[in-house]
Amino acid sequence: MSEDRRVLRVGELLLGLRELLEQEVGRVWVVGEISNLHRAASGHIYFSLKDEVGQVRAALFRGNAARLAFELEEGLLVVAQAEVSVYPRRGDLQIIVRRLEPRGQGALQLAFEQLRARLEAEGLFADAEKRRLPAVPRRVGVVTSPSGAAVRDVIHVAGLRFPSIPLLIAATRVQGTGVEEEIAAALERLQGVPGVDVILLVRGGGSLEDLQGFNTERVARAIRASRVPVVSGVGHEVDVSIADLAADARAATPSAAAALALPDRVALGGQLRGGRQRLMAATSRRVERLRLHLDHLGTALRGQAPAARLAERRDRLQTLRTALGRELAGELALAGARCEELRRRLAASAQLGLAGCNARLAAAAGRLEALSPLAVLGRGYAIARTEEGRIVRRATQVPIGASLEVRVAVGALAVQVVDRRD
Amino acid sequence: MGEPVEQGPKHSDANAAGEELPFESALARLEAIVDRLETGDLPLEEALAAFEEGVGLSRRCAGQLESAERRIEVLMESEDGPQSEPFVSPAGDESLED
Repeated sequence: MSEDRRVLRVGELLLGLRELLEQEVGRVWVVGEISNLHRAASGHIYFSLKDEVGQVRAALFRGNAARLAFELEEGLLVVAQAEVSVYPRRGDLQIIVRRLEPRGQGALQLAFEQLRARLEAEGLFADAEKRRLPAVPRRVGVVTSPSGAAVRDVIHVAGLRFPSIPLLIAATRVQGTGVEEEIAAALERLQGVPGVDVILLVRGGGSLEDLQGFNTERVARAIRASRVPVVSGVGHEVDVSIADLAADARAATPSAAAALALPDRVALGGQLRGGRQRLMAATSRRVERLRLHLDHLGTALRGQAPAARLAERRDRLQTLRTALGRELAGELALAGARCEELRRRLAASAQLGLAGCNARLAAAAGRLEALSPLAVLGRGYAIARTEEGRIVRRATQVPIGASLEVRVAVGALAVQVVDRRD
Repeated sequence: MGEPVEQGPKHSDANAAGEELPFESALARLEAIVDRLETGDLPLEEALAAFEEGVGLSRRCAGQLESAERRIEVLMESEDGPQSEPFVSPAGDESLED
């Protein structure tokens, strides 16, 4: 007895199965863990999705693979949208993956964490790499959108803190596809500008998608390559971006970033005033010390000056004259009294004549004359004076060759010193 | 790995806006002059020269602090290299001075 059998060739079986699957099952969503991950040179990615029961082979072709926001890793739990099929050559069941998402967190979030871990391992975020911000920058570079709240906030805060520090804006888009290239280019453009001592990298708040440009490797490396410190102020969220981690300093908002970079001129003004006061105080103390010293010298000097010598001489002369006057009056008075007495005695005795009185008077006058300084000259003494009018008392006072005026009893002589005996 | 740490403007740098000593350098120089006057026993000539320089620095710094003149520019890329031109806020009816 023969049974009627429908005999298929292998190829027919496989292709039939494939057609059946594609028509009856079609597109499904499958969740599973990635294993046996293999990236072919062609750019296609092959792996298995597995759970505790079993596994199914999966293929992610180049075009779809390129659109992945995150990296595939062994053990990663994912959800795949795929078409179920049969790979005839090996007779394998396989799913052709169109879309792939991480299970349990967003693709962007996962991508962020993967990038963060990788760059951190490289040392890009190390504290030792962070540069100190300048105390008073000469110019501040700002990488941001020229429209939008961030640039206005920065300008406002800069105006409050230190308006005369110039701001130089390197304009860029801050969201959208390919924006990381523009941000990096803006940072690079500021590198060549002299006087830019610090750069602000700022943008306003937004979703994780909006902020994506600031979560890229390109921007992180551009920040580290900057010649001057970079302060980031990305978004208004508490969460940090890759740019925040790479920057030399980070702020919660664009306004806070501006406040970090620009000093408060009121505080600086206080510091300046303090310095100025110390300058004045120190200088006036110094000058006062010198002035006292000068006064002492001046007093001592004034005693030696020619005009002082002359005045001194004049004073002594006057004293002399006064004394002489007294003497003269005294002598005369004495002579007069004696004369009176003698006249009285004359009245009593006629022997003494007026001649006696006259003689006594003459004698007194003669003694007076002898006391006069001019009489000194008459006795043969001379008064020598230097060109400045100083009276010479000591030979050492005048150098050889000096001109002197010599006053004698009558007249004066202009002489020159030829020799000196000390 | 990584760049050497940058310390800020060198005192001999001229700033793009002019030949003036940068504010930070001027303030540091003033402090140094005051220290010298306070501790050193400078001869009169040097003391007065230091004082004059100190006063000049103090005035220049005060001028920069007091200046309310803003300079906000946009850096453009051009054939001759980077150029800057004044920044104009795109939102016409919004004032920059809040």
